[in-house]
Amino acid sequence: MKDRYYAGFMQEKPRWMRSLADLRGRLFVFITDAIALIYLWTMVSYCSNTFMFHTKSFVTLPWWVMLLVVIEATALWENFGVSVGMKLLGLRLTSADGSAPSLGDRALRYLTWHFSGLPLVGVVAAKDGQAWHDRLSGLRVVGAEDVETERYPWYRRSWSIALLVLLIVTLVTAMLVTRVDFVKFFTGAPKTGRIWRAFLSPEWSLLGDGIRLLIVTVFMAFMATLFGVLIAVPLSFLAARNLTQGLIGRTVYTIVRGAMSITRSIEPIIWAIIFVVWVRVGAFPGVLALFVHSVADLTKLYSERLESIDPGPVEAIRATGANKLQVIIYGIIPQIINPYLSFTLYRWDINVRMATIIGIVGGGGIGQRLYQYTRLWRWSEAGLLMLLIMIVVWMMDYTSSRLRARLG
Amino acid sequence: MADHLVVEHLTKVYERGDVLALDDISFSVEKGEFLVLIGLSGSGKSTLLRCINRLIEPTAGKVYFDGIDVTAASSRDLRQLRRRMAMIFQQFNLVRRSSVLTNVLSGRLGYVNPWLSATHQFPHSEIKMAMANLERVGIPEQAYKRADELSGGQQQRVGIARALMQTPELLMADEPVSALDPATSHSVMRYLELMNREDGVTVLASLHFLSLARRYGTRILALKDGKIVYEGLPSEIDEARFKEIYGEEAEQVEVH
Amino acid sequence: MAKRPSRLKSTKANSLLTRLGAIRPRLFAFLLDWASWGYVAYAVMFLINRYWFVRYVNFYGTLTLPPWGWPLVVLATLELVVLSHAFGHSIGLSLFGLELLTHSHRFPTVRDRASRYLWWHASALLLPVSLWRSGRECLLLHDVRSKTCMVPLAEVKDELPVTKPRPWYLTNRGLMTVALIGLTFWVGWLTTQINLQRLFSRAPKSAYLWKALVTPDFEHLAMPDPELKDSIMGGMLESIFMALLATIFGGLIAFPLSFLGARNIMGFSPLGWLIFTLARAFFNVFRSIESILWAVVFAVWVGFGPFAGVLALTIHTIAALGKLYSEQVESIDPGPLEAIAATGARRWQVVLYGVIPQIIPSYLAFSLYRWDINVRMSTVIALVGGGGIGRILFYYKGQVGRLSNAWNQVGAVVFTIVAVVWLLDYISGRVREKII
Repeated sequence: MKDRYYAGFMQEKPRWMRSLADLRGRLFVFITDAIALIYLWTMVSYCSNTFMFHTKSFVTLPWWVMLLVVIEATALWENFGVSVGMKLLGLRLTSADGSAPSLGDRALRYLTWHFSGLPLVGVVAAKDGQAWHDRLSGLRVVGAEDVETERYPWYRRSWSIALLVLLIVTLVTAMLVTRVDFVKFFTGAPKTGRIWRAFLSPEWSLLGDGIRLLIVTVFMAFMATLFGVLIAVPLSFLAARNLTQGLIGRTVYTIVRGAMSITRSIEPIIWAIIFVVWVRVGAFPGVLALFVHSVADLTKLYSERLESIDPGPVEAIRATGANKLQVIIYGIIPQIINPYLSFTLYRWDINVRMATIIGIVGGGGIGQRLYQYTRLWRWSEAGLLMLLIMIVVWMMDYTSSRLRARLG
Repeated sequence: MADHLVVEHLTKVYERGDVLALDDISFSVEKGEFLVLIGLSGSGKSTLLRCINRLIEPTAGKVYFDGIDVTAASSRDLRQLRRRMAMIFQQFNLVRRSSVLTNVLSGRLGYVNPWLSATHQFPHSEIKMAMANLERVGIPEQAYKRADELSGGQQQRVGIARALMQTPELLMADEPVSALDPATSHSVMRYLELMNREDGVTVLASLHFLSLARRYGTRILALKDGKIVYEGLPSEIDEARFKEIYGEEAEQVEVH
Repeated sequence: MAKRPSRLKSTKANSLLTRLGAIRPRLFAFLLDWASWGYVAYAVMFLINRYWFVRYVNFYGTLTLPPWGWPLVVLATLELVVLSHAFGHSIGLSLFGLELLTHSHRFPTVRDRASRYLWWHASALLLPVSLWRSGRECLLLHDVRSKTCMVPLAEVKDELPVTKPRPWYLTNRGLMTVALIGLTFWVGWLTTQINLQRLFSRAPKSAYLWKALVTPDFEHLAMPDPELKDSIMGGMLESIFMALLATIFGGLIAFPLSFLGARNIMGFSPLGWLIFTLARAFFNVFRSIESILWAVVFAVWVGFGPFAGVLALTIHTIAALGKLYSEQVESIDPGPLEAIAATGARRWQVVLYGVIPQIIPSYLAFSLYRWDINVRMSTVIALVGGGGIGRILFYYKGQVGRLSNAWNQVGAVVFTIVAVVWLLDYISGRVREKII
């Protein structure tokens, strides 16, 4: 960092500023470890509550007990081993001469930490990056590359054990929360026999209807993509970091990007619920829902592509005295036309897939009928529609991937 | 039986593109030789080396290694044979994301207990051997780094250490230095020379530059369009021969 | 390397299969153009029906032709394809890189083109015979008679005289593309019943909805709703864990499958080819069915609840990750594999030491990405009984009319979803950047 500036103009940073940077690192490490332990605590509570009391609760003891234990455990962990946070920032604890610290020193540092680290006084008033508890115990925190450490196998490193425990606890909790039941998985299989049999003998008399519904579905995807492209292309220029400079540009960039990422994180089906209330049931709300999601998704893809264009040609065209529009037309558009087309195809592909299910909430297309049939347990009809969906989606997928490969 | 490696009427046709890469090649190598293959790019040097340990299946012809027919070997016997002939590559062919030590140890895969190797565990003696070989090529301190953090010359030395792990009788080097700069080239070539002189490993190396071939080879084999056009001592290649091998427009380039 | 001598060549030059292979691009171009003309015919018929014959057609009411109408349409489109092939450069021809040239590789005159068009009719009837008899790709009957031929453009590019290309609006394919897009837009507008008037006229009516959505009611964010017996956060956690488990299960199953779906691992032996094809077909079929449809089946199988959702997401994850993974396996550097094989290692040792270290980081990245998608999917899978946050969303949506603040509650759920999805997206993006 320092070498990038001319030394003569630089002033020595005041001491509090330097220890502030130090404080940030220490806080990061502490908070990371504490969060890991809190997570462990709540998940273990959940598991034990489920197993012992058959209740579903993430808390066992009052929250302040948990906090106290977690803070103490974090301090112990950071003094007697390499914690997850320390591993992330690549930090190690050593004695002054660079050797591994003795247990006594570690204990001393742990005890003194309560006076200096906990109220943060000793860290803010640190000298040479050494907090009070560092100086009192004669230990210091250094980068991992500065010390010769013995290479322990993974089962003797506290951070890797901690990660493993976290993983296992997460898995167990996840299985409890989602009520994974493999017994039911195997005993329940015969119940679906009827479905599979019906799928094997689809109701062919529905073919004509199915194809017509499929046509509507594909058109829904097409309209949504087309409208989406028309809006997303101009928006993408406003959402590219390298094209939006200055205060106004930055503001526009932030607003567009933010709005798009919010829109994108709401599934089209949820959008369809809103639009069904707005414009009533039919294919139209489905198109609108897909359109909104497409705009958000395409703007993101497009603008990311815009951000990675080669600045060379742009510079060259600007050097000829071209204005902003000319720069876009001659320097930028030739670079992005193929990627844009390929993203559009990709999105169309997704839209077809989405259009097949958006009918579930009243968004029209083949999904609406399919959902009705499954509700009525008419699996032969559902099987036929599913078969049609499979064929169309597969065809779309194949053509669009071939075309995209050609576009490069 | 005197000959270590015998190649008889070796022919390779690449189905795709109808290319005749090797056209009826026959030669033999004695134990302890440093045989250098020279020729233009695409003259079939790489194909020839890969046909000897059957990384590429030859179309016709025979290869005998210590009297054993390599071309007729079952896949089990082939693995036994490959253990005895190590290979190093132009692009080093290290697993870039694995550590240097793992890369070197992978040279031992033909020897170790396969079930143990499935868990990435190697016996202590093997690890010691790997460290000793890294010591030998002068980069013991790099053992725990990732392979792609090393420079080209260092990566090729890892490749040599991997080959050394096989305790080979024959070392095949496929343009080992053409991705390196001249100074590094010589240091890598010197390790090959050392293996040849001290361990008595027969070396079969393909090289781009005639000057390197002259400096290190005890015998030279020149390929052109898949045929042998010259076989003899390095010192015997004069201007006329050179033009014959490399074409009329070629100039001799020295690598110091 | 030397060109292979002729004695080794031409063992199969004359087989029917080769000849079929040679006219394959021509055939495909023809079929593609036929399909696009057929599509134009469909669209035109649809529009005629919509505007002239029946006032209120059903959206698929295009198929009201007399019995002789269908053969007529087929023949008419066929003629149009042949015309566009003989007199211009159609979409199909340019996609498959073909160019109509005379036998001496010059551009044909209008006379040549007309004779080609006429001769084609005779040739089409005799196609099997002429294909059987002709020796090379260029010698179908109408090729011979009109002294013109479809030539792969890549082969003759250098011989052709340089001509100024026509502007796109004067070329066959440019006009056709515009027509296709325009007709699709027109027909699409009608079939999907787009009604902008309704969109705007009802906008004030939907205002209350938006107002409620942006003033969310977070009453049950952490406090369980007594009727639902769950809180929003509980539901969100359920969704996240559903996605996590589905990703882990799916990833574990997709991992071994991905090697079966990789060309470079399976090789070209008949068995390898069979396994490869089966694996890829499996991925494609299962990927094409949205997980929400799987949830319907699994809700019957294991009962309503998050487990059904997990299973549904798992199936889709296996297929999606399997495809991504196997493409990743196909793109690895083959050098290290060669080197490890040369040390005398077994095939599976080569995979273990050469392939897996190369693919682990991108596998992790893809799995993270998939987790992201799964969280998003798990927000809606409850619609068919899959559990997760969607259960709460649709519960409150169902309370509209019963509870005065139902939409505000929906708003709270949507806000939570947005926050969590956005956060996960951000974190997984950062981590993925770091891994690769």
